[in-house]
Order: sequence, then C-alpha cells, then structure tokens
Amino acid sequence: MTLEVRDLSIRFGGVAAVTNMSLDVNAREIVGLIGPNGAGKTTFINCIAGVAQPDTGAASWNGRAILGLSPADLLRLGVARTFQSVVSLHDLTVLDLVKLGAAAHARRGRGFLSQFFGSDKAVDEEICESLLAPLNLVDVANSPIQTLSYGQRKSVDLARALACEPQLLYLDEPVAGLTFQEGLNMGAVIRSVRDRFGCSVVMVEHKMDVVMSTCDRIVVMAHGARIFEGTPAETQKDAEVRRVYLGDA
Amino acid sequence: MLGLQLAIAGVATGSVYALIALGIVLIYKCSGVVNFAQGAYAMLGAYISYFMLRLHLPAVVAVLAAMAIMAVIGAATERLILRRMLKAQIVSVMMVTLGLLIFFRALCLAVWGPDQIAFPQIFPAGSIDFAGVYITYNYVAAFALATTLSVAFLCFYQFTAIGLMQRCTADNTRAALAIGIHVSNQISIAWAASAALAGLGGALLATLGGLSLTISDIGLVAFPVIVVGGLDSLVGALIAGFLLGVLEAFTEGMLTPALETVLRKFTSIDSVGALQQVIPYALLVLMLLLRPQGIFGRRGVERV
Repeated sequence: MTLEVRDLSIRFGGVAAVTNMSLDVNAREIVGLIGPNGAGKTTFINCIAGVAQPDTGAASWNGRAILGLSPADLLRLGVARTFQSVVSLHDLTVLDLVKLGAAAHARRGRGFLSQFFGSDKAVDEEICESLLAPLNLVDVANSPIQTLSYGQRKSVDLARALACEPQLLYLDEPVAGLTFQEGLNMGAVIRSVRDRFGCSVVMVEHKMDVVMSTCDRIVVMAHGARIFEGTPAETQKDAEVRRVYLGDA
Repeated sequence: MLGLQLAIAGVATGSVYALIALGIVLIYKCSGVVNFAQGAYAMLGAYISYFMLRLHLPAVVAVLAAMAIMAVIGAATERLILRRMLKAQIVSVMMVTLGLLIFFRALCLAVWGPDQIAFPQIFPAGSIDFAGVYITYNYVAAFALATTLSVAFLCFYQFTAIGLMQRCTADNTRAALAIGIHVSNQISIAWAASAALAGLGGALLATLGGLSLTISDIGLVAFPVIVVGGLDSLVGALIAGFLLGVLEAFTEGMLTPALETVLRKFTSIDSVGALQQVIPYALLVLMLLLRPQGIFGRRGVERV
C-alpha cells in the first residue's frame, strides 16, 4: 500500500512547473506537501490524479503504474481526491454529490444492472450517519450545493471523496478559505479519516498550524522541486525551508 | 363535446411529442448536441417495430425489441460519429445530425419504399365512452404508454445511481470527469435512452396515423416543444409536449373551421391550409422573442 513517484516532470510551454519530483507515501501515512504559491504542488497532484499528463517520470500505487489513468480508473484502484476550488454544480444536493462518490465506488462491487434501479433509503441514511455527521453536514443534506458556504462545500467535497472509500486520498488545500476553528476541525477530521479508513493521505496546504498538527511527514516544494523532507518539528527548524517559505527574517 | 374530443386527441399526440422531445433534451443536457436526427429515430423505431411485427412476434416483444435495437443505434451514432466531433464547431455538429436525418430517411425509403404502410393493429380495436365522447383504444393506449414511459424515465433520472451520474454529467461535464464519473459512458447512455424513447414514440405515431417516412417530421415539431419548455428542462419538455399537442388539435378542429367560415364570408379565400402546422412554429418564434430560455429552462449561466 504505497505510493511511489519518481522523477516526475511537467512543463507548460517554457515554464517548468514540476521538475524531477519524487515522493513516497507509506500505508496510513499523512504527508503534507507545502511550499510557496506557484511551487507546483497542485500541478504535481494533478499529474498523479489523472488530470494532467506529465512529460517524464513514473508513478505507481501498490505496484501499479498510475500515470495516464483517468480519474474514474483511479477511483477503481482506490485513489480519490478533493479539489482546491470547489466543484460547481447547480442542481445537485449535498446527498446527491456524496452518493455520486459512493456510486463511482460501487462499480467495483455491485452489479452493473443494480445501478438502474431505485434509490436505497438505507444507503442514504448510512451516508448521512457515517460521512455527513462527522463533517456537520446532516442539516444541509438535502440542500443544493450552491446554497452552502465555502467551508461547507469544502466539507462536502471531502465527504464525496470519502464515499469512494479511498485507500489513497489527495487533499488539495482542504483548509484554505476556512476560519481558524474550521481549519483545526478539518485537521482533526483528516486524522480521524486516516484512522477509520486506514488510508494514506497526501495533502497540499498552506496553513502551517494545520499542516504541523495533522501531518506525519512534510515535503517542501519550491520552484517545482523538492527542497526538504522531514517531520513537522524538523521542518519548522530547517533554515532553508524558513528562507524559502517564510521569507528571510 | 367537440372541445373534449379535441382535448383528448391533443393530449394523446402531445404525449408522444413529449416522449420525443424528452430525448432531445436528454441528449442536449448531457452532450450539448442539438440532435436534429431525433425524428429519424422515431421513424426508424416505427419501421423496425413494423418489421418485428411482421415476424409474428407478440406486440410487446416486437416493440421492446425495436426499442432495444434503437438504443444500440443511438449509442452507435454517438460512439462512431458524434464522439469524433467533440472539438468540432457547433454548426458542424448540427449539420451532421441533419445529415443523419437525411441518411436514415433515405435508408427507410430504400428498404420500405415511399408509400404509406398500414401499421398492424397492436391495440384492441374499439373505443371507450368517456363522458359522451368516443375515444379509440389506440389513443388511450398511446397516451398511457407514452406518459407512463416519460414519467418512468423522469423517475429513473431522479432516483437511480445512473440517473444521478446523468444529472451530474449534464450539470457540469468537467466536474463530473474530475470526480471520477465515466463521462463518455454516460453520454452513450443518454443517446441510447433517447433513441429508445423516440423509437417507441414513432411506433405509437404509426398506430395512430399509419407508417410512412413523414413520421420523421415529428423531430421538427419537437423543437418548438423544447424551445417552449426550455432546452435544458426534461419536465418542461413533458409539459410543453402536451401543451402543443392540445393546441394543434384545437387549431385543426376549431380555429381553422372558424377562420375559414369568416374568410369565405368576406373574401374569396376558401381555405387557410394546415394552420395547425404553423402554430408550433409561431409559438416558437414568440417564445424566443419573449423568454428565450423557455418556460422551465434556466437562463444561460456562465459556468466558470
């Protein structure tokens, strides 16, 4: 149950967005990917989430090559993600979106035909209880997503990804835009998710307090490459990280 | 009594309009293609039903088989032709669907000839007495089947896992793709479902008015229906279908005779022709002027 990324590079025209980036994520590990704006964090996630096609490099999940797979293929391998900018949908309710996550996952187990028939009240309730309740979303379960606050929509996106029962979860700035308290809650939720699902997590995040308290290991990126890797405590002490990330003092 | 009679006939044809318009809206919502070949699917469905019935299959089996074949044809159209045009201009895509309409018409012409064919009686002959008005079983059955199927489809769309994926794809294709929905499969499903619905609609039209190439004209009547209902609203298509069916029936049965009586009295004009065919398009123009998004449609929203 490990993610191995080797020497991944991608260029957009003349801009080298990610250069020779490698990353290992072990089972049940929460890895924080931090770095200044434009460091290539989201681009890197996009490459291993089936959204962007890197120019060179290799990536495997449990020994299976994953570059070039679509998000739908990755879901079937147990790889799910959330988004930095919240998915914009007009008609769907919170419950709908979370069920979509569950449905995408169900393709692995349930029969194809069963998807053509009826909705299952029991499934709805189970989703409410196990996914929406921890994220404080039960009250808005039947509200259109468009009516929710930004923070709530972030939570919905996470619940949707969790409904896929992921073994590897990418979180792209799960705390950005949330209040301080919401951010700390989200950090706690992420750790409890890891404990409950036993999944590995890669999270891109800016808010240092959340990253420090949530992650087991931190990888720092700058200008598309890795400049440091270590525990939260080591990261905070490192002079180079402080220079690049926090600016010269 | 004439009013009731016309209303019933109008509702029956309107239910078939609704069924076919539903398919156009479904395809548009899911893949953004305005499918002018929908009428051809109806016509093809009618001819294939006829072919199946001639094999002495039971009517239910024959029509279901025809719908299944139409579903395959619908999905094949999408996979083989429209999928290759994903990056093409909207006008080119429209031209291709128009070309498909002409192609399927020519195909039916080549196989079954230009003459109207008597469609086998699949519903019991006779009629029921409804408040002093006689309605043939054909109309009752067409109405019941078309409406049941339309409503069943709406339920499918609203309540099942596939329906949910359909709605998500229709709502925001890029988002659907990103969260792991197999979008191209969903688009194929939309085309298959919509061709199957149109196929049944065509068979029902054939039971009402005989089998001929002109069944494909329904595809053009369906456009006023969806413009009135709203291009992106399935419920709108359903309601506008009934509305236009009834409007046509009343135009043919009441407005035209009344107008002709007046004209004959004061002018030398003898006939106003098939006014009922003008009404849907007049309504279409009016709608586009007053409320371009239709009754139930959403005003064009910029999706970022």
